[in-house]
Amino acid sequence: MSIELKNEFGLIDISQDTVAQIVGGAAIECYGIVGMASKHQIRDGLTDILRKENFTKGVLVRQEKEDLHIDMYIIVSYGTKISEIAYQVQSKVKYTLNKSLGMSVKSVNVYVQGVRVANV
Amino acid sequence: MKSINGIQFADMVQMGAHHLFQNADYVDALNVFPVPDGDTGTNMNLSMTSGAKETAAHTHEHIGKTAQALSKGLLMGARGNSGVILSQLFRGFGKSIEQLDVLNAKQFADALNYGVETAYKAVMKPVEGTILTVAKDSARKAVEVSEDVDDIRELMEAIVAEAKKSLDRTPDLLPVLKEVGVVDSGGQGLVFVYEGFLASLKGEALPSKTIGSSMDDLVSAEHHMNVQGFMDTADIEFGFCTEFMVRFEEGKKSFDETAFRNDLSEYGDSLLVISDNEIAKIHIHSETPGEVLTYGQQYGDLIKIKIENMRQQHTEIVGEGYSSQATTKKAEVHPYAIVTVAMGTGVSELLKSLGASAVIEGGQTMNPSTEDIVKAVEAVGAERVLILPNNKNIVMAAEQAAEILGIEAAVVPTKTIPQGMAAILAFNPQATVEENKNNMTEAYAHVKTGQVTFAVRDTSIDGVEIKKDDFMALAEGKIVLSTLL
Repeated sequence: MSIELKNEFGLIDISQDTVAQIVGGAAIECYGIVGMASKHQIRDGLTDILRKENFTKGVLVRQEKEDLHIDMYIIVSYGTKISEIAYQVQSKVKYTLNKSLGMSVKSVNVYVQGVRVANV
Repeated sequence: MKSINGIQFADMVQMGAHHLFQNADYVDALNVFPVPDGDTGTNMNLSMTSGAKETAAHTHEHIGKTAQALSKGLLMGARGNSGVILSQLFRGFGKSIEQLDVLNAKQFADALNYGVETAYKAVMKPVEGTILTVAKDSARKAVEVSEDVDDIRELMEAIVAEAKKSLDRTPDLLPVLKEVGVVDSGGQGLVFVYEGFLASLKGEALPSKTIGSSMDDLVSAEHHMNVQGFMDTADIEFGFCTEFMVRFEEGKKSFDETAFRNDLSEYGDSLLVISDNEIAKIHIHSETPGEVLTYGQQYGDLIKIKIENMRQQHTEIVGEGYSSQATTKKAEVHPYAIVTVAMGTGVSELLKSLGASAVIEGGQTMNPSTEDIVKAVEAVGAERVLILPNNKNIVMAAEQAAEILGIEAAVVPTKTIPQGMAAILAFNPQATVEENKNNMTEAYAHVKTGQVTFAVRDTSIDGVEIKKDDFMALAEGKIVLSTLL
């Protein structure tokens, strides 16, 4: 499935992968995020922190009628205020999608899948 | 000063927090990254205030314990990206001096550096040109300087100096900052914290707000926000960017910043006033810069006056002819206009003779875009407009155009030329846009449209057999007859 936008010239079709890549790219620039996690942790391996090529596994893009919903699975750094980081991710993702694709997102749901303890 | 203990450190934290608090608005104004929502200063201030509160409540002679309190307070109160980073910087700082009673210069520098390392660990892809860079550069400098210097005051001076230099370099690292012409907001916040530390160590009052450079940054940020808001030169309400300084004089009106601001805000928008005891620097966008200057003169001598025509600047940027825009458009404003769409000179003349102000070339095979419609309406320069698309494929574009026009506009969704003509006849220049829309829609509802054309290929539609080159008769858009004469 992909995201479709219509205007008077025709159709714009943006693949879910594209959206997921943009969402992932925006997210890892956020402070406090150390990685994206797979939404199927058991199937894809528990400990995996996803690399850039696999962002799409950690980002789920859903289109319900006209509304766009993002579910994303992240791993954060130990010792940070996780609620605040999740909030920053939401606002950054919403802003980036709006800026780069002109899409407004109805919801950005952040699932914190893990905390990485750095060897401090 | 060779070492500091927990009590001295607590005082540094208080001063840092206080200095940041005083300048939070300024930091807000610089905020363009990662999301330009103008809250960095507020967020950092709230984070730092929470840290300072916790520190004050748990101040201990033992510096390790005091630093722990700061770390905990920052963590709990962390708000915004910069706030979270700030909490990480001092979490690492606190962690590395946990066991220490007092801190010497070398240990202080190492602790800062450890804080930076901790902060960098908590991000996958650090963005340089932010608070992280400023923290990193100043911590490295601290480690370097602490090799030779054992006076903490001297060390802190070097740290502040390097932090400021690093801050000035942020636009080179982060393109969005350069584009807007500001330094990074979070980095600026950290500089304020460090400046507070230094003031505490020196036992001096906090550095006062600097009028010169900070004003320039504020002006850039303010203009940036404005540029984003304006799509068209004609949208600029206050045309002259006016900057000047007033040197207060004895015997003139005495200066009260709040009253001064209130009075000036009458003349325009984007008002910025920065003042100390001797001078005030003013930036305002106004349509009547002369009056602003006259007002300023009541307080003293005017120095460094700069007035720029923003409409001209804007048209230069947008690349459109200035003179034709602002002047001629305003000269002949039609209160009411009808903009419609038709193909061919004959039909176009016919519609114009009935009262259409502009006819856009287009029809079934060539649908004008939203932009074409917007341009046509703007060229007419009316205050209120009715758009008649005369084709069902153009109705959507017309409706979009009506939405973005920014003037009172309505679409009468006519689908054929005869409908458009009937609608124009029902137009009443005295009525409101809404009334006209209703009357005109009603008027064309009774119109039956017949069309004649020829077939380009063989087909069968709605039970009518069609052969190439047949003449076809359409009633209300439906083929009713196809035959070769």
